[in-house]
Amino acid sequence: MSTQLKPDSATAMVLDSVSGKPRPAKTIRWGIVLSYVVLIIFAIIYAGPILMLVNTSLKTMPEFMKNAVGISRSFQFKNFVDAWSKANFPRYMGNTILYTFFATAAYIVTAIFVAFPVARQYVKGSGVILTIFVVALFLPPALIPQFQLMLNLGLYNNPVGYILLFLSNPIGIVILVNYIKTVPKEMDEVGALDGCGYFRFVLTIVTPLIQPAIATVSVLHAIGIWNELILPTIYLTNEKYYPITRGMIVFQGVYGSNWPTLAAAVLIMTLPMLILFLFLQRYIVSGLTQGAVKG
Amino acid sequence: MNYHFGRGKGRLVPYLLLFPGLFIYFLIALGPSLATSVYSFTDATGIKGAPINWIGLDNYKEFLFMGQASRDNYAALGRTLIFCLFVTTVQFALGLLIAVILNNKLRGKNFFRTLYFMPVILGAVIQGLIWSLFLYPMGGPVAKIMELLGTRSEFFGGKPTEAFAWVIVVQIWANMGTTMVIFIAGLQTVPSELYEAACIDGASSWQTFQNVTWPLLTPSVNTNLLLNIIGSLQAWQLFLVLLGYRNGTQVLGYLIYATGFGQTSGSVTSSFRQGYAAAASMILFLIVLVLGMTTQAILQRRERRILG
Repeated sequence: MSTQLKPDSATAMVLDSVSGKPRPAKTIRWGIVLSYVVLIIFAIIYAGPILMLVNTSLKTMPEFMKNAVGISRSFQFKNFVDAWSKANFPRYMGNTILYTFFATAAYIVTAIFVAFPVARQYVKGSGVILTIFVVALFLPPALIPQFQLMLNLGLYNNPVGYILLFLSNPIGIVILVNYIKTVPKEMDEVGALDGCGYFRFVLTIVTPLIQPAIATVSVLHAIGIWNELILPTIYLTNEKYYPITRGMIVFQGVYGSNWPTLAAAVLIMTLPMLILFLFLQRYIVSGLTQGAVKG
Repeated sequence: MNYHFGRGKGRLVPYLLLFPGLFIYFLIALGPSLATSVYSFTDATGIKGAPINWIGLDNYKEFLFMGQASRDNYAALGRTLIFCLFVTTVQFALGLLIAVILNNKLRGKNFFRTLYFMPVILGAVIQGLIWSLFLYPMGGPVAKIMELLGTRSEFFGGKPTEAFAWVIVVQIWANMGTTMVIFIAGLQTVPSELYEAACIDGASSWQTFQNVTWPLLTPSVNTNLLLNIIGSLQAWQLFLVLLGYRNGTQVLGYLIYATGFGQTSGSVTSSFRQGYAAAASMILFLIVLVLGMTTQAILQRRERRILG
């Protein structure tokens, strides 16, 4: 989102409703004051739960029991050490990272080779192919037959099978196709004249040109995998394959009443997403708004 | 169309490279999705090698017309619609209000926007656990405030209706950011000349909103309404994290999962009634379809009236 000058509906308040002449500055303030009041109330509702989490993660259990909302005095970083080892973080986090990385990489590569020829109409029935992807958004959930399929393929409780489940994302295809359409077609002609083959052209010329769209789709796809809870609950029964989401639910089951340790665990799980978010917010927002409008 | 990268056999290269993506999509998404209706007419279980028999409409009959079980199903269906109604309207209204405020030149607007949007990326597990702590009944912050106001709540551990209401709150908290950014994107497409013109004509800020902003926001209004309705009808992950499969709180999506994959998430041994769950999926799908199409039709008629 750019920060250029926005249409400013507050200016309406600056002007007198009868004469259309600017009022003195003092009377404007109320609209702005009211705006800030609303923003701050919501800021409390949005930041409050997270501040509570941080505060609790720094407390001892007796401290928490005595006063759940009091500010931490002891700064118990031990909670993080405890959570890290007891919640089996290295393994679960490692699994999540592997699933997210491989599924996203494989998806993006296959998606580019679907989106490019469809956007360029280099394959017959390009329009139909695109429609087939869009249609999926309006069909019944695939959950039950998908499970039967995985069971019969012997991919149940199997990390490779689990990754396979994430190799489809129709909205991503739509976003890529729309972006590729903005790349001039003359590029293809020039590339071909220079003797570049199709495969190499897509990989070395197209891919760098559509990088913003690739970033958007990758980030959206990766967030989805990182946060997925239902599929690991269904497909991964062996504890050593658990991703962090499933591991966290198990940890909650055991340490549910020990909030300081649990809060530390949740915070460890939240931090990577928060950092990612602060850096990639632009791509996430553009992906959500584009996907929403086009899908 | 003007393919430059080769002739004859070389012409087939794009097809060859397109194939994996398309094939996987058919295999794991489109095919299973279409097969849901087929499975809904069978007695499929989740056990490998167990025979699957065609039982016609039995699953549907059982779901809709079989004593207490179907009364529970109707209750779940009702809750799904109530959840959808509250989440859609409140999230829509708050998202719009905050987007309009943040569309002004205000100090710290990027900070506020980032803060409100942040929960969207955290996922149901983190969202749920953060709120379980925030709504800690024994002296947590919300409990303290309610105490000052002279009321109290057991939150997620309280009466089913109460717990259900709190899940609605968390659902809105978690997803309002999406509604907000779609509205902000829509507001940025409104040409500033129109605001200037409204100013010159002496319109009040409410009149400006009513006659300029609101009509021109129609595309984002449509998108948000449809997304919220469809999304909230199918949402149930927060119920899993916050409440578990608790009587009096289930929504249809959770019911499908619980019947198809066993009620306790840990045990694999309980028999899965996947044919029945598929039938329930089809019923939820039909509800989403009917509500989605109706809304779409109404919105399109409105759009034609407003934008011509």
